[in-house]
Amino acid sequence: MRKVIKYLKPYWLIALLCPLAMILEVSMDLIQPQLMSDIVNFGILGTAPADENLRYVIQTGIYMLIFSLIGCAGGILSAAFGTITAQKLGNDMRKDTFEKVMHLSFQQTDKFTTGSLVTRLTNDITMIQQFVAMSLRMFVRTGMQFIGGIACLLFLNVNFGLVLVISLPIQLIVVTLIMKRAAPLFGIVQDKLDKVNSVVQENVTGARVVKAFTREEYEINRFDDANTALMETNMKVQKLLAILNPLLMVVMNASVMAIILIGGLQVEAKSMEVGSVMAAVTYITQILMSVMMVGMMFQQVSRAMASAKRVKEVLDTDPVISDGSSAQAEITQGRVEFKNVGFYYPGTAGKPVLKDIDLTVEPGQMIAVLGSTGCGKTSLVNLIPRFYDCTQGEVLIDGVNVKDYELDVLRSKIGVVLQKSELFSGTVAENIRWGDNEASDEEVKNAATIAQADTFIQGFNEGYDTMISEKGASLSGGQKQRMSIARAILKKPKILIFDDSTSALDLSTESKLHEALRSSLSGVTVIMIAQRIASVMRADRIAVIDKGTICAFGTHSELMQSSEIYRDIYYSQMKNEGGEQNG
Amino acid sequence: MAEQKNSAPMQMPRVMGRGGPPPHARMGMPAEKPKNAGATVKRIISYIGKNKYLLFALLAIMLIITLTNLLAPFLQGLAIDCITLSDSRLNIDINGMITYLLLLGGIYLISSLLTYFQGIFAAKLSQTTVKVMRNDLFKKISYLPIKYTDTHQHGDIMSRMTNDIENISNTVSQSIASLFSGVLTLFGCFMFMIFYSPMLTLVSMTSIVLTLIVTRTLTKFMRKYFPMQQSLLGELNGHIEETVTGYKTVASFSREKRACDDFNVISDKLTDASIKAQISGGVMGPCMNVIGNIGFLLVAGVGAYFLIIGFNPLALSGAITVGTIQAFLQYTRNFTRPINEIAQQYAMIQTAIAGAERVFEIMDNPPETDEGKDDSFSVENVKGDINFKDLSFSYVPGEVVLHDFDLWIKSGQKLAIVGATGSGKTTVVNLLTRFYDIDSGSITLDGQSIYEIPKKKLRGSIGIVLQDTVIFNDTIAQNIRYGKLDATDEEVIAAARTAKVDEFAEKLTDGYNTVLTEGGSNLSQGQRQLIAIARAVLADPKILILDEATSSIDTRTEVYIQEAMLALMKGRTSLIIAHRLSTIRDADKIVVIDKGRVAEAGNHEQLLAQGGAYAKLYNTQFAGIAT
Repeated sequence: MRKVIKYLKPYWLIALLCPLAMILEVSMDLIQPQLMSDIVNFGILGTAPADENLRYVIQTGIYMLIFSLIGCAGGILSAAFGTITAQKLGNDMRKDTFEKVMHLSFQQTDKFTTGSLVTRLTNDITMIQQFVAMSLRMFVRTGMQFIGGIACLLFLNVNFGLVLVISLPIQLIVVTLIMKRAAPLFGIVQDKLDKVNSVVQENVTGARVVKAFTREEYEINRFDDANTALMETNMKVQKLLAILNPLLMVVMNASVMAIILIGGLQVEAKSMEVGSVMAAVTYITQILMSVMMVGMMFQQVSRAMASAKRVKEVLDTDPVISDGSSAQAEITQGRVEFKNVGFYYPGTAGKPVLKDIDLTVEPGQMIAVLGSTGCGKTSLVNLIPRFYDCTQGEVLIDGVNVKDYELDVLRSKIGVVLQKSELFSGTVAENIRWGDNEASDEEVKNAATIAQADTFIQGFNEGYDTMISEKGASLSGGQKQRMSIARAILKKPKILIFDDSTSALDLSTESKLHEALRSSLSGVTVIMIAQRIASVMRADRIAVIDKGTICAFGTHSELMQSSEIYRDIYYSQMKNEGGEQNG
Repeated sequence: MAEQKNSAPMQMPRVMGRGGPPPHARMGMPAEKPKNAGATVKRIISYIGKNKYLLFALLAIMLIITLTNLLAPFLQGLAIDCITLSDSRLNIDINGMITYLLLLGGIYLISSLLTYFQGIFAAKLSQTTVKVMRNDLFKKISYLPIKYTDTHQHGDIMSRMTNDIENISNTVSQSIASLFSGVLTLFGCFMFMIFYSPMLTLVSMTSIVLTLIVTRTLTKFMRKYFPMQQSLLGELNGHIEETVTGYKTVASFSREKRACDDFNVISDKLTDASIKAQISGGVMGPCMNVIGNIGFLLVAGVGAYFLIIGFNPLALSGAITVGTIQAFLQYTRNFTRPINEIAQQYAMIQTAIAGAERVFEIMDNPPETDEGKDDSFSVENVKGDINFKDLSFSYVPGEVVLHDFDLWIKSGQKLAIVGATGSGKTTVVNLLTRFYDIDSGSITLDGQSIYEIPKKKLRGSIGIVLQDTVIFNDTIAQNIRYGKLDATDEEVIAAARTAKVDEFAEKLTDGYNTVLTEGGSNLSQGQRQLIAIARAVLADPKILILDEATSSIDTRTEVYIQEAMLALMKGRTSLIIAHRLSTIRDADKIVVIDKGRVAEAGNHEQLLAQGGAYAKLYNTQFAGIAT
């Protein structure tokens, strides 16, 4: 909550004006019944001559009209102020949260999970906005209606207080009891809804597998279960809330009757006017309605609290990986050194993924990294652009610890092509220009040509201006990989990292890519993770990783001699033909 | 999958647009306005009508409640009249008043009780309606052809299932009640007003006219800004989704600042539109208040005048009394309230109808056709002799992917398909499994056209492992069990062993009971493929298709599971698609596909000796080895 108040600060004036305008509106509302009762008391039932009575009605009527216009203006103003405050506050908070998310370290985004970050940025912030708008307006409004209503009622006649003393506590108890029971259910409804959504998600993305295994009926049943659970929880909430309304109505109507009865007796005793009874009915209705509103708002408050907590969690997270201290450090050569490096993922209780890694890659060299599934290849290259920080030893570029570089400087000189190609909505050219915003059309085309992407891009009807639909869903894996490679090449990095990012290319395309890389990117240090021997053979050196350590390092022919694992891998791909080829 | 996407990469986005088939569906700019509201509403009603008894019970209850609500002011007026009945001075008929109050109390009690049932029934009605609708939609999605999910944005389908249905649910539960009781109240109030004083009724109609004018003007604004707000919200969510899920790329290209800037621009625009939309919505309440007061004043003023001159023409209730005016004023209020409510829900109802249209749009898609009527076909007896003849196929008319395609896979044969990206390899799989249907030619299984075989049985005899593995948010064991739902734990573990899943699964703290996250992000790509293979092992199909099934598994592990794979393929017809030649070299027959037709066929040695495309491919892979 304190966070929300902090964000309220810049708009304190507007935020303050909102309840003020609201006070104006509500006070006008409170005056209305008084005036109405006057009209009835002195105008309609007045003892004065008829035309004077009529004049009184008209005169008071004009006052009433003026007051109600003022009230209307107040209402509109407070709506405007409230909306502006809530929207601007939400906007600031959203921007800050987004910026925070953009600067989180991978281990932190991993922890939050992307799905949850998206919800926090969208639903949760909307929730807070609604809450702010509501509390600025509704809380003040109901509060004033409640207190003002009581004051006016007592002012009319203290005896009416008796009705309040009885009806108010009953009303409060009813509301709290029901809301207390309903509150936890709201959370459960949300969970059940998530379940339903996740079944749909799995089925839409995995449609092929569902169909291939003819599991349609199974999935329909699974969905029906989730759906039924959702409906049942929803029903529980609704049933609970269904009691609330009638109960409150009973209390309210009983109060109204009591007021009429008491009022009637008072009128008979000549201590009250008839119009006052009518006014009293309006006031008691207002008072009890405001209690009901508070009950309804409670639901939103508890949800907003939960949302605020979730957003706060993000805002309070400081990136673990931040800029290093030496601002003047630059990458000019691209020498990469691993010194006694060890690494484990945060939250895995120190189970090492990498240990005792010593490796030096000279500027302009091409190093290939080979190893079995899950051996730590990706973890190794992730340490270079500081996607994660090593937990032991140090990673150096041009002799400077990567932790000492400014992040932007470091990453601007390192091109990474990830295992999973991520494309963004926009044209093909725009996607490639991620590498360099200022790049000319020629440069873009050139990068695409090196990445072996130019040909297929030219084949699109609109060439480089073709729009990529969301995440490139309509492109093949190989096409996406080549566009990602072009993007990294355009960056003109000193160090280029391929994280198994040529796996979807057929062999001849891959070998063309290698040739192009050789001829166009001399002087760039290349670190390439791959599965296929053919992909790594051309490297200057090959590092074979096994169980988190480098078990062999050397050229292809050296490794064929010295490394049993490498030979294993080689023969697994060559098999019987291998010997023949190898001579 | 690759090929099929390759073949028509750019046609699809155009079909998909930014918003799937109905242009208004997603960010569809201004129009949250339904296209054919009448028909859609009829369909929603037919869904609600499935609970006929519930619906009628609800309507009956609402009718009674409305009546009691109408009676209450009448009785209140009578009670107050007990105070003022005599002409010269105030006189109280306490007995009469108590009688009326007791009557009133009784009516209130009945109406409260009924309100409770109304709440329950309305909830039940809307919940069951929506449940049925959701189930129907899901069922529909399950049976839609693959083509639909291939060509429509998944986010869009998801949003129809969740947001749109949620909107319908809210509207059904809230609006139906207020619409029905609103109309009843309007009618009833009107009757009472006429009964009391036709002249005053005429007077109070002026406030109704005012209400209509104000609502119309305001909805004009709301119609402009609310959709704008919605579409900007969609844009913002899209941006968030994209940047947050693609965060690794954003970070590695140092695009954080740029992403924030873009975000801020949209966020500001949204804030602007939201402020305008919300204010135009917020003006409604206070304005209605003023109108209500004006109505009150008019009735009070004119009423007072009538009272004084004793004028109340055409009234059935006789001369005007204070009680009459009191009651009349209440009816005026009650009269304007439902109009306000309907006006305020107008936007919501519109959105819900537009949402329903999107839901029905999916439902109206023809489901996967299944002309396979041969029920005598038995999965157990499948021999696995597959013959593609004279086949031609295109995803998009005019862009032929396969043509004059002939391929015979003999029973028990191990056949590998090789070819460049985009040559049509995956298409062969898509056609055999009938994910897509051929344009001309024929595909036969054991001599019978696959179009005569029920799809369920056809697919039941084929086991398939895809390049993009699908992992369900469930335990490892359950994920494997997907291949055979009634498999015992032993069978699951045996399958896991065969596919070498046990290697890593048993190391996990929860072993096979480890719950995999959506998309299986807590496993490496290779490990996911192993699970998919275990799934196929467990399914024990007659025909096995491996479409780049081992591309992310390192070759040593592959060799390791090779034995198992060989055992798995033994006695079955197997179709292998791979880039890695090491994966396919052992095949009985290798076909090279080029430009949509079979270019070469033979075993490894034969093809190498031929010195054609295959030999070239092979040599590229191992180029430089000898030196």
